[in-house]
Amino acid sequence: MLVDSENPSLNRSSLFSLEGKVALLTGASGFLGRTFAETLLTNGADLIAIGRPAKLGKQVEAWKEKYGSGRVHGYYVDMFDLEALTKTLDEISGRHAVDVLINNAHELAPASGFNTPAGSLDQGNMDVWMRNLTAGVCWPALTVQKIGVGMKERGRGSIINISTMYAVVAPRPALYEGTTFLNPPAYSASKAAMIAFTRYVASFWGSYGIRANAILPGPFSNTEDAGPNSVRVGDPFIEKLKANTSLGRIGRAGELAGALLFLASEASSYVTGQTIVVDGGWTTV
Amino acid sequence: MADKLKVTDAEASNQAQALFDLTGRVAVITGGAGLLGTKHAEILAAAGGIPVLLDLAQAKPEVAAAVIAKKFGVDAAGFATDITQLAEVEKVRNTLLARFGRIDILINNAANNPKVESDGAKAWSRLENFPLEVWNDDLRVGLTGAFLCSRVFGSEMAKRGKGVILNIASDLAVIAPDQRLYRQTGVAEDRQPVKPVTYSVVKTGLIGLTRYLATYWATSGVRVNAISPGGVFNNQPEAFLAELHQRIPLARMAHADEYQGSILFLCSDASSYMTGANLVVDGGRTCW
Repeated sequence: MLVDSENPSLNRSSLFSLEGKVALLTGASGFLGRTFAETLLTNGADLIAIGRPAKLGKQVEAWKEKYGSGRVHGYYVDMFDLEALTKTLDEISGRHAVDVLINNAHELAPASGFNTPAGSLDQGNMDVWMRNLTAGVCWPALTVQKIGVGMKERGRGSIINISTMYAVVAPRPALYEGTTFLNPPAYSASKAAMIAFTRYVASFWGSYGIRANAILPGPFSNTEDAGPNSVRVGDPFIEKLKANTSLGRIGRAGELAGALLFLASEASSYVTGQTIVVDGGWTTV
Repeated sequence: MADKLKVTDAEASNQAQALFDLTGRVAVITGGAGLLGTKHAEILAAAGGIPVLLDLAQAKPEVAAAVIAKKFGVDAAGFATDITQLAEVEKVRNTLLARFGRIDILINNAANNPKVESDGAKAWSRLENFPLEVWNDDLRVGLTGAFLCSRVFGSEMAKRGKGVILNIASDLAVIAPDQRLYRQTGVAEDRQPVKPVTYSVVKTGLIGLTRYLATYWATSGVRVNAISPGGVFNNQPEAFLAELHQRIPLARMAHADEYQGSILFLCSDASSYMTGANLVVDGGRTCW
């Protein structure tokens, strides 16, 4: 590859490089989280992963084996236990100089109203609402507060919040009719709040060299896991999702890697308070 | 050990090297010999692309292209072209197809941009006096030029089933100009310089063109996005900078090379699932 020797930043791999950076990722063992983790590690960042031990533990061991044990740190906590989460974040903040914070975790399960009538507009109870607001608002608020202290001291940091296209457009009822899928209103509301929070952080901490942005993924169906929110390959629901995009297809998890690398690296040094919509043109029409 | 080091296809696709690669891709850049046009060309060349600079004859696009070709060791071309003339744009297309056999990327970057903050500012920029000829000329370059280039080069991409169009809009496609920024002391109210109306209209129009083309060619494999950059530092007067910095969370203007990351992101396969989007790169100016 050709490199501009006078201006090394013009080398495309160094412009988007995460070499020497430390990235904290929540929800690292989820469908998109795994791709984010691999993207961070493959491009040079050390990874701090937060999540529940049952899911994350094995994954962290596999990454240590693959990328080196010194580059991967697992912190195990049930994030709904806010006291325990606070303690964990204090611990991380004391041990690691985090450059990139990625708020990716959410609970896509019946307990938070996914794929059950109990999550619907008519029936969703306050517990469903609180679990979504806790995940979409309180978790980012806590991580930003705790990890942001160090970022402010060091005068740099990139915060990336993973929201959704459903923060800017509503799900269409017809899409879900006749399926077992349901996307609860609490999810849309919590992820829209997350965007407002993103702008607030960008505004108040911009002068400290901290940037805050959000990625809004479109239809990235989890066809890999057998979890409560996964979709079988060939499910007619996927055809309906495809028809709602402009590009006529659902996204592959790896297609979020570019946006993540862009926001995590110096390639986006003048980007803050913004949303990057990666939705195959779903919201364009 | 060798097995462990082997990267799978999925992992390889997450590597910056592969994601942002443009090897052999022919990229037409309008206004290509200007301050930002050459910066766009440089990052595409650094990623292995073949920049094709279109600009007016006096901007010497062929000279700018030769400089980039030498600096990056890639093929590059420059053509003196009036992009408001269909026949001239079609001539460039024919030349490119004969020489490279393909057109992969179009960056609609050309626009008239009178520097109202500099001392050349005159009362002509005010809406009450704004000359019809200037209005027509600004729209012709900024919008008609983008339309003609999209029609000619974009159709070629759609025919081949793959391509990217990137429209360079502005933060002034998202917010209104703050005319207080351009005020000069000791100048009568009706003589105060302002950002011309055409700038907002052209840049906002480009966002409409972006969305229209994105859905129009979506199934033909042509992705169309926009970036909305804020202002670039170019030794503007201190007083202007002080005022502007207060309006930007990052408290500074952009460096001339600071849009290159966005350009490469949206021109490469790193953004393969993005179309119809507007990437705002403004230091946070529009977020508060």
